Amino acid sequence: MKDRVIEVGYRRLPPIQPRRGHAARTIARWALTLAWRKRATKISLAACAMIAMAHALGIVVVVLLQAAGTFGDSTPIAAMSLNVDRIVGNTQEVLSSFVSAQTYFTVIALAVIGGGFIAEDRRYGAFDLYFARALRRRDYLMGKLLAAGAVPALTIALPFVLLWLLAVGIAPSTLRLSLLWLFVPGLIGALVTSVVLTVTLLGVSALGERGRTIGVVFVFGWLLLSAVGESLAGNGLAAAGYLSPARDVATMIEALLDAGPASAAAAALELRGSVNPSALLSTLSLFGFASLGLAALVGRLRREVGG
Amino acid sequence: MLLALRGVDKRFGDTLALSDITVELEGRAVGLLGPNGAGKTTLMRILLGLSSPSRGDVEVLGIDVRARPHEARARLGYAAEGPQRIPGLTGVESVAYAAELCGLGRRPALLRAHELLDLVNLGDARDRRVETYSTGMHQRVKVAMALAHDPALLLLDEPTTGLDPDSRDELLELLVSLRDGGGPAILLSTHLLHDVERTCDRCMILEGGALRFAGSLGELRRPNPRHYDVRIDGDEGARGRFVDTLVATGATVERGRRAGVLDVHLVAPDPRVLWSAAETSGVRLWHLEPRAPSLEEAFLATISAEARAGTGTSTGTGAPP
Repeated sequence: MKDRVIEVGYRRLPPIQPRRGHAARTIARWALTLAWRKRATKISLAACAMIAMAHALGIVVVVLLQAAGTFGDSTPIAAMSLNVDRIVGNTQEVLSSFVSAQTYFTVIALAVIGGGFIAEDRRYGAFDLYFARALRRRDYLMGKLLAAGAVPALTIALPFVLLWLLAVGIAPSTLRLSLLWLFVPGLIGALVTSVVLTVTLLGVSALGERGRTIGVVFVFGWLLLSAVGESLAGNGLAAAGYLSPARDVATMIEALLDAGPASAAAAALELRGSVNPSALLSTLSLFGFASLGLAALVGRLRREVGG
Repeated sequence: MLLALRGVDKRFGDTLALSDITVELEGRAVGLLGPNGAGKTTLMRILLGLSSPSRGDVEVLGIDVRARPHEARARLGYAAEGPQRIPGLTGVESVAYAAELCGLGRRPALLRAHELLDLVNLGDARDRRVETYSTGMHQRVKVAMALAHDPALLLLDEPTTGLDPDSRDELLELLVSLRDGGGPAILLSTHLLHDVERTCDRCMILEGGALRFAGSLGELRRPNPRHYDVRIDGDEGARGRFVDTLVATGATVERGRRAGVLDVHLVAPDPRVLWSAAETSGVRLWHLEPRAPSLEEAFLATISAEARAGTGTSTGTGAPP
């Protein structure tokens, strides 16, 4: 026979000692749990996964062709692989192409998942629910940053690491050494991109009250800025290229990975767009976007939550 | 000490929302009464440390709220007025989330959520999304969220607003059971006098940002020594003479709330005027009792005539105006 609880009534609790970071982790977990319930989240993440898989395939092809060339085989593949860098590109190019392309899909995924992170809290008055507790503004901020940051971490940084592991794993030992050094700069590029996307999205989210509208504004803002920057830079106004966040990401990651000139395949598939003259200025421009987002976010929190 | 405020002002631009509030209150359940716009919500937010006073000191449960707002809030539970919610969460998730935010682990938080939803009688709707809840269910889930971390003081801002009589009755019953059953102390902000009468032992009355009264309900309704319920026996003429005699002394005489009872306001707190008037007019005094005002009368006597005219305060048991 099982015990059955008929009535509990009001139960006093022993004193609660919250662990450091507990509130931020809780906010992040619940935000992601709620986001995961939306079908659009799964679709956007599936699209990101497909981009990663396509690049994994690219890595396999490139590394195997390079490996064949390295062994000095006399097969037609080996003959082709002598010029493999010029024809299909190298691992660096595939990795940088991945980060650049995935950034677009991550923008969409972030808009779908995180557009309402701040906006919907404002819309439904949830700030009162949060800040009537022993919650600091920084707990809330960290929670939302963790939640939004998990998206690019999952779609850009983690796949980058996996793609790099794949490349290193299947490369012959002679090629492996040259691939090992890619990890740190590549990861830095992926993380910078993730941080910029995360903070910018939350900044935009702090400006509105409807998640869906924020998502649309974020995606269109990203595309519009990128298109305008690209167009002006293409028409001789090189400095305008720094206004294009997509171009800035491509410039930064290509410089970090030392991707070299575009291969024939990349040129044919238009996998690599044009880049800005200075990687440093592009990176600074990205941090500029992130700073604007952070300012909007912190400003909103200061206005909404006094005391 | 439940709460202590010393010289608290709160300004919003040129508007003085709270003016020189000084009060110390103990008790298990305190009502915060006042007409709309009296400053009740502003005071609640100051007590929570969500808004800083322009001047003055605020202590809640012995904690200086300005210096240690987080420590104070850890011991407070707050159910705000309005339809605040985190959309997409079910009732049980909302309460569990609230508990986790206060430091409970995932499983203890879930257990606590189930307990509290049973307590507020939302057991059957625990797995429904909060956006599908009725107003009454929203109010109850907010109370459950406020109780999630077992606060020492529960601050409720207009919790019965928009509730039907049954739901309101249930919520008030819950507050009484918390008050009497070892739950947290309660600070109930409302303009419904009946809610305070039913659940609170003390009250504060705010009007136009100023404190008009703070003390027990008994003190608020203390019998007025110039105000008597009088029942007399005598013929029509003698009764008329009795009233005329009293009116000649400056007293006002009205029909009382009960049949055959006169409501007499004397000029001075001296009931001998009544005996003297009875003797001269030839009536017999059957009943003479200093009059204890109802909470409504006491409240209306406390606030100014201006506020009285525009007050949204209600004594009814139905939905507020």
